[in-house]
Amino acid sequence: MNSLLLAFWATLIFASIGWYGFLVFYVGWTAGREIRVMTRTLAAAANAADQAAPK
Amino acid sequence: MTLTALDWIIVTLYLVGCLVAGLWMRKFVRGVQDFAVAGREMDVNLGIASLAATELGLVTIMYTAQLGYEKGFAGAAIGVIMASAIWLVGRTGFVIGPLRTAGVMTIPELFEQRFSPRVRWLAGLFVVLGGLLNMGIFLRLGGEFLVHATGLPPGWLEWIMTALLGLVLLYTALGGMLSVLVTDYLQFLVMGVGIVATSVLVLMHIGWDNLVDTLYQRWAADAAAGGAQKIAHPFNPAHATSFGWAYLLWQFFFQLAGTTTWQTQISRVLAAKDAATARKMYRHTSFYFVGRFLLPGLWGAAACVWFAQHGGLPAELTTLTAMPHYLSLVLPAGIIGIVVAAMLAAEMSTDSGYMLTWATVIYNDLVTPCLRRPLSPRGQLVLTRLLVLGIAIFLLFYGLWYELPGNAWDYLAVTGNIYLASVFTLLVAGLYWPRANATGAAAALVLGALGPIVFLLLGRKFAIPPEIAGASSFALAALGMIAGSLLTPPPSLATPANPIATAP
Repeated sequence: MNSLLLAFWATLIFASIGWYGFLVFYVGWTAGREIRVMTRTLAAAANAADQAAPK
Repeated sequence: MTLTALDWIIVTLYLVGCLVAGLWMRKFVRGVQDFAVAGREMDVNLGIASLAATELGLVTIMYTAQLGYEKGFAGAAIGVIMASAIWLVGRTGFVIGPLRTAGVMTIPELFEQRFSPRVRWLAGLFVVLGGLLNMGIFLRLGGEFLVHATGLPPGWLEWIMTALLGLVLLYTALGGMLSVLVTDYLQFLVMGVGIVATSVLVLMHIGWDNLVDTLYQRWAADAAAGGAQKIAHPFNPAHATSFGWAYLLWQFFFQLAGTTTWQTQISRVLAAKDAATARKMYRHTSFYFVGRFLLPGLWGAAACVWFAQHGGLPAELTTLTAMPHYLSLVLPAGIIGIVVAAMLAAEMSTDSGYMLTWATVIYNDLVTPCLRRPLSPRGQLVLTRLLVLGIAIFLLFYGLWYELPGNAWDYLAVTGNIYLASVFTLLVAGLYWPRANATGAAAALVLGALGPIVFLLLGRKFAIPPEIAGASSFALAALGMIAGSLLTPPPSLATPANPIATAP
């Protein structure tokens, strides 16, 4: 058995499990904040467009 | 039936949550720009969640697990190549930088600026053709997972997938990219929890030493038996019994082209706030694509070992359905509910992202250029929503009768290649080669699509290797572009809209 190849795959497997676990918390927090900012921006743009529209 | 009441509650809560979130975003949609590219308000981390969720579908989990079953860990070499390509593109901004700066909504739209309206239309046709054929097997493969993992009767497959598609259709058609982004975010979280939990439980169940020893011994015993080897080397992708160097080299070009050209990925680039955000999103998502192949591949390899130690693969199972069946035996109540919710998340995020993307291309590049008078903003929205509905109907019917000619990954690679090689050639030449012109672009589109279409029609009869069909399409597309451009007058690059004038 090629131990170098095995070590390569073992490192990637355990790093991937760790990375996926980390991203759930990190992206969960940061992307959640970004959604709040995005919806506020879109709502503000919609209000501005409504006010600018001819009555 | 494998699922308990607790599992059903988890799955139901997840589905209701997605539907509510998706429908909530509908109120922010004011026009096609919001519908197709989320008003270009997407930031880095939301982009990471959306890109990762869209590109990791249930179909992905099925074919990567199949690769793991058939080729062991070496099957995930494609994921390593893909991650390298994404990181490289994110690091250099190759293609995606100037593409985002051009401010277009789809790739073919750029071709009108650079080449001609006819090239835009032809490219749109190939993009849609390749994309829809590629997506055609998503529902069936997803359904195969669900019926095997949950123990539901196989006859329910069509009904379950129809109901799921209906749910996705509802929020995608109403909220467009805004709904897709928010539901992708939820789906990314559920998927992450499900994939980590499943990987840990599979490793605990099968045992690391048992897994690697059995994989290797199966291959070594097959090699010692002499004759034609049937079992691939489980750790070395370049070995003659595994992918081999030629296939890996083709995959590098394929992944580089996919990373810069695949419209569902590029739609996240075009929805990003700016080119720097798009590049950062690519760099930060790149390693995710290793796990995208490797973790389901681990489940597939574990299924292979488990069945090998328990009397072999039963006649009613295939290398494709072995993994979900194995998971149904391994995962405890409660956990299997989370995993099924995670897999539904994978299916839904991919379906929604793909339906929206192809509908946007049809609207933007095939229908709009043919209209004599532009539609009203309301008419544009209604038309795009109807196109999403049309794609969903196509998916239901095509997905039910098409029979795969080879393994799932090869089918996806070849159908994607119908436009990848040619559109990649157009993008690179259009952005970086001033001499490229409309004749070369048209020749590249037609010639680049020939190889994959021939494989689809004749692949089973004449056993054409997928790397030959794929690589030949890259070569033919490049030949068409070079010959067509050099044999006809050079283009005028003086127009202000020409993206080559602003490309870094």
